[in-house]
Amino acid sequence: MSVSSITELVAGKVYALHNTFELNGRISAYPEKARGFSPANCYLLIDEKAAMLLDTGYTAHEDAIIDQLDSLLDREMPLSIFPLRINEFMSVCNTMAIAKIFNVVECFSNVPNIEDWVEFETLRGKEHNPILKTTLLGRGEQSQVVLGDQRKIHVLTAPIRLISTRWIYDEASKILFSSDMFSHIWSDFENNPWQIGNNETDQVTDFKFVRSYLLNTRYWWIEGANTKPIRNAINDVYKRFNIQTIAPGYGTILRGRSHVERQFNVLDEVLKKLDRQNILPTYVPRGLER
Amino acid sequence: MKNGNSLPREIAPGIFWLGDCLEQQHKGMTYHSYNAAFLLIGDECSMLIETGHPKDFPEIERQMIEILSHNRPPLKHLFITHQETPHSGGLGRVLQNWPEITVHGDVADYHLAFPNHKSRLKNMEVGDKIDIGGRQLIAVEPVIRDLRTSLWAFDTGANALFPGDGFAYSHYHWDGHCGLVAEEAKSLDLKDVLAVFAERALYWTTTTDMNIYVDRLEELIADLHVEIVAPTHGLPVTDLAATMPKIREGLISEGSIIT
Repeated sequence: MSVSSITELVAGKVYALHNTFELNGRISAYPEKARGFSPANCYLLIDEKAAMLLDTGYTAHEDAIIDQLDSLLDREMPLSIFPLRINEFMSVCNTMAIAKIFNVVECFSNVPNIEDWVEFETLRGKEHNPILKTTLLGRGEQSQVVLGDQRKIHVLTAPIRLISTRWIYDEASKILFSSDMFSHIWSDFENNPWQIGNNETDQVTDFKFVRSYLLNTRYWWIEGANTKPIRNAINDVYKRFNIQTIAPGYGTILRGRSHVERQFNVLDEVLKKLDRQNILPTYVPRGLER
Repeated sequence: MKNGNSLPREIAPGIFWLGDCLEQQHKGMTYHSYNAAFLLIGDECSMLIETGHPKDFPEIERQMIEILSHNRPPLKHLFITHQETPHSGGLGRVLQNWPEITVHGDVADYHLAFPNHKSRLKNMEVGDKIDIGGRQLIAVEPVIRDLRTSLWAFDTGANALFPGDGFAYSHYHWDGHCGLVAEEAKSLDLKDVLAVFAERALYWTTTTDMNIYVDRLEELIADLHVEIVAPTHGLPVTDLAATMPKIREGLISEGSIIT
């Protein structure tokens, strides 16, 4: 089972589409021993004449995501799709399903011919999928796309990443869409409100927890790595943009500048302590819990 | 890439290399790489290892059907090294088109990506084995990996290692490398082509001391008596004594890119 919900981040402009999964040791994005529930988050950015969807979610949530989009969007509205992790199912599973129903006018990608990357069905006879127009974004550190007439969407190569990953900053909402980073807050309850507000307390984020989360997920390799360039790149993002909300690709959204400051500070402290100047790298076997 | 595709190719007795090339642009150059699959033929049944890139699956399936049509035992199992779509993107179509097949490996996430088939997912851990008659496939430590849920595999029939993202490198289409094993691709500069992949797909290898991973890799190769390496992205390695030193040099140089 899965619980679906929508969080309005900015009325008429940004919505989070949450669809939960159970943490049962069988989710690659979370520590093997994590238990409880977390949402896969797709984000819908709406402007007057166009909309953009960041990530398309798992197949298990296809019907729910179509319903969520239907509740927010006219099917004729020009929609662009932007998978932030082109190689991960959580980002791409429903690209074709959405394109069959909504007016998908382009897909942003760092690879050409995105339909080659998001075709997961057997087509029989005369069946065919929509041809998707790919807007190729370079592999540089940052670029920019425009939603509607003038809404600036900044596209960043994720400053910390395991696989090909993009972060997005939306100037209009001051939201950083951080993909797999800052994704460490889950819940014992499936119907959790998947955001922590400006005046609410984040009872999870501290040095010990974030360190453990990184090392037990996709940043298993980072102990003893050269983290200085990574820290510098993260700090550049922090200084360059007026981030008021962090919206991860999975897990809980953090709203308010105080939460943003805390997240970046704790992450920086963890990466500093894990740097090769402070600790020697050692081989990390599969399944090592730290 | 279907015209002129050099695959399939039998790289060891009962191991067929399947797939097609993918173009990669890097620093103004056009490289090729593989997102390969391998067909392992046992006495009792056959096994597919990896499903290839989503774009390649129709071609991989065609190659597989052609090979199996030559009086070979039926396909019963699929082993996948990890959840990235260039490795597992064809999973749904394998399960849909081959109704008897079971999927093996660390099966995290697949129940969400392919919910109609979750009963056919069989989890493995390091040391677990699948017997296909006359040879076994053993899940082994994934020394060089990305997702924490990665597994490598070892075939006892040909002493072949299937390292997924290990040995990940591009090759030179312009110099005729497509479909060659590493030792046949005389002009292949492993330092160069390992760097292409490191920047694009294995970023972490540029941040850390890769000596410790190469040391562990060489231990694994020695412990298992590996004779052939069948990587998903690189060209197969058939002479480890000749090629492993070049792999070591390339991987270690990656770890010093970011200073």
